[in-house]
Amino acid sequence: MIGQLTKAERQYALLILLGLALCGLIFGIAGKDDPLGIHGALIGVAALAGIFKVISVYYDPEPGDERLTRYYDDPTKFGIVLAMIWAVFGLFIGDWVAWLLVKPDFTFNAGWASFGRLRPVHTTSVLFGFGGNALIATSYYVLQRTSRARLPDQLSPWFVLLGYNLFCVLAVTGYMMGITQSKEYAEPEWYADIWLLVVWVVYFAIYLRTLARRKEPHIYVANWYYMAFILVIAILHIVNNLAVPVSFGSAKSYSLFSGVQDAMTEWWYGHNAVAFFLTAGFLGMMYYFVPVRAGRPIYSYRMSIISFWGITFFYMWAGSHHLHYTALPQWVQTLGMTFSLMLLIPSWASAANALLTLNGAWDKVRDDATLRFMMVAAVFYGITTFEGSFLAIRSVNSLSHYTDWTVGHVHAGALGWVAMITFGSIYTIVPWLWKRDRMYSPRLVEVHFWFALAGAVVYVFAMWNSGIIQGLMWRTYNESGTLAYSFVDSLIAMHPYYIARAIGGLLFLIGGIVGAYNIWMTIKTESKILPQSAVDAPEPALGGEAVLQPGE
Amino acid sequence: MFGLHYRLERKAIGLTLGIILVASIGGLVEIAPLFTIHQTVEDAPDMRVYTPLELAGRNIYIREGCYACHSQMIRTLRDEVERYGPYSLAVESKYDHPMLWGSKRTGPDLARIGGKYSDEWHVAHLNNPRDVLPVSVMPAYSWLLRTTLRTDDLNAHLKAQRAVGVPYTDDMIANANKDAYGQAAPDSPYADGVTQRYGKATNVRVFDGKPGELTEMDALVAYLQVLGHLTDAAHKTVADVAR
Amino acid sequence: MDPGHDTLVWFSKSFGLFYLIALSITTVVYAYWPSNQKAFDHAAKSVLHNEDGPWR
Repeated sequence: MIGQLTKAERQYALLILLGLALCGLIFGIAGKDDPLGIHGALIGVAALAGIFKVISVYYDPEPGDERLTRYYDDPTKFGIVLAMIWAVFGLFIGDWVAWLLVKPDFTFNAGWASFGRLRPVHTTSVLFGFGGNALIATSYYVLQRTSRARLPDQLSPWFVLLGYNLFCVLAVTGYMMGITQSKEYAEPEWYADIWLLVVWVVYFAIYLRTLARRKEPHIYVANWYYMAFILVIAILHIVNNLAVPVSFGSAKSYSLFSGVQDAMTEWWYGHNAVAFFLTAGFLGMMYYFVPVRAGRPIYSYRMSIISFWGITFFYMWAGSHHLHYTALPQWVQTLGMTFSLMLLIPSWASAANALLTLNGAWDKVRDDATLRFMMVAAVFYGITTFEGSFLAIRSVNSLSHYTDWTVGHVHAGALGWVAMITFGSIYTIVPWLWKRDRMYSPRLVEVHFWFALAGAVVYVFAMWNSGIIQGLMWRTYNESGTLAYSFVDSLIAMHPYYIARAIGGLLFLIGGIVGAYNIWMTIKTESKILPQSAVDAPEPALGGEAVLQPGE
Repeated sequence: MFGLHYRLERKAIGLTLGIILVASIGGLVEIAPLFTIHQTVEDAPDMRVYTPLELAGRNIYIREGCYACHSQMIRTLRDEVERYGPYSLAVESKYDHPMLWGSKRTGPDLARIGGKYSDEWHVAHLNNPRDVLPVSVMPAYSWLLRTTLRTDDLNAHLKAQRAVGVPYTDDMIANANKDAYGQAAPDSPYADGVTQRYGKATNVRVFDGKPGELTEMDALVAYLQVLGHLTDAAHKTVADVAR
Repeated sequence: MDPGHDTLVWFSKSFGLFYLIALSITTVVYAYWPSNQKAFDHAAKSVLHNEDGPWR
């Protein structure tokens, strides 16, 4: 794949990798008494591996100019494979920690295996590892097709993809060693944060450079969502991670903000990471892959624009609903609640837009599990955003906050919406990327679909139940006017639901493994009935039944 | 050709600026007032900073991800106040970089856990929660008792804390090392320095039950025992309201 | 104490509302501006066209 790089690009790649190796060396030396040293070594090894890889192809013949007549899809392919690896890993860790709440002694008596350290491993792996790689991979694909322009060069897409994965690896290995900022969903420490910022700037530059060469004056709406995702995540990332390192040789840093400011900044970040990572980015995916897979244009393009600005605007104010009844000033809480309620409008407009696009193609939804993944994703998106607005109401939040209801809500979004739309998009894109006429096994797509749906439903129902019971037990008074239940009583009541939740997670994991196997076999198995004419893929055509898989 | 090119590029930048503008205003309008909030944060002149040992304990709390299951924020709700104590005030976390309010109570809130249980209870509970509470789902942290606390970089930690606004004095920074040791060794010559610098109310004890050894258990228990005791502003507020 | 905080809060509350209204109007006007209709229809259909590669 790297053989596609031109001579100049190979030289630049070497230069970048040498710089990275140097950084690794410096951190390794400066942090030799600190966990930072291990990360320095890890960075160095990764850079050296890259150097060897580039040198091994350095004297290979350069690619010809005919490459410029095709889109550059190598990073997308690699990104999809990485996304599936992270998916299986992250879901496995997630289910593992779910079982830890049932059997708390499965920690091998070691720090790295305890719930507190593994929990961010799970969240980072699924959100940033799986979700992030899927977003980067599909964004390259969508960007090129909708702009009808090739990526501006062949090196920077690789830099972004691999650099981003280096960040993920630093994050995940760091947590197990105890390196964390403790800010939820922004746990990686200062050096990893700086690295991510560099990667992110290059990522956005790719977007601008490609768009600058586009054919149509209008930018297709999917790109708006992808751009909002990249841009706003950059803003959030910078502000929330402002910190002062203990020393250059220490992984540890102290947040610039404290107390109530820190809480507000963290949840402004946390909620908008949901908004712009898990919503805007995946809506970008939806606005491209739903129409393409269904063979129908988006139901209302206008509605997609209005909901875009609605989401971009409203979400930013909503973060304070995470802090109801806390020491945060009341007016900020009220503001957060109001905007959370208003958010329902653009959110439901997006969900309705997807479902109405499928209206009239229900026969395809019935037969095609891939399209069904996306349909269910839109339904879950609608449910989750409704639930989100509901939970943001102060009085509801007083019951739900701190309980498993929040966990159930997050997973309705993450399993039901994010993962489902991603699997749907991946099943759409994989046969095109690898020039196959269909997935290795449409039946396994079907199997994956039902496992995923069953897993998500079991999980979410278990957490709804446990969360509401928990919340009620905490606030129930007996006749004499004292609290009826001790905390331990509520803990005992959770036990069956924790088992149910772990089983739901297991079903979802099995689905993910089936999906990864299917994708791997599609890549490995040469398709026998390749359409002869196509140098390029049998890509979306109006009424593209040809690319649809019969769902058995 | 170049004119067209330029215009197209301009439009993408326009969209970029539009997104930045629309998205950032929400955050600015909402967060900016919080930075002048020192005017609305209650006064607590008696508030003290964490001792080096407590800070080290806090870092262990962060390292182990305790915040994933324990909140440190009692809301202004009757049942919470009755269960955990006076509701949390903003001022109580003003030296918390970062705050550890948390978002989930798989275990109970810890904002006022300090002083509720004995050191022995904490050590036994952290060593294996199921020895104390058979139905607990908390992981065992038995290695804390076996791990010596790292103290050689504590002065750098205090310096970084000062850089973000915590009022540590030069004296505190210079003696960070000794104070960490002294706080867990009441019979040592370093113990007096701790109370002298951080106040008489500071807990100076052998937290982990192993005199002469400074373990991570010492630090974590010292931190847990000071939670809710850096200032008594919250108790005063409750008294005021009652009056 | 000093007026900074109250002023800032007042500004947030009042300006925020006008900003919200102005933004909503701008967005809806843009989306429904007659001459934009063609571009939107074209864009909606453009993703479905079979294409063979970058245009340059």
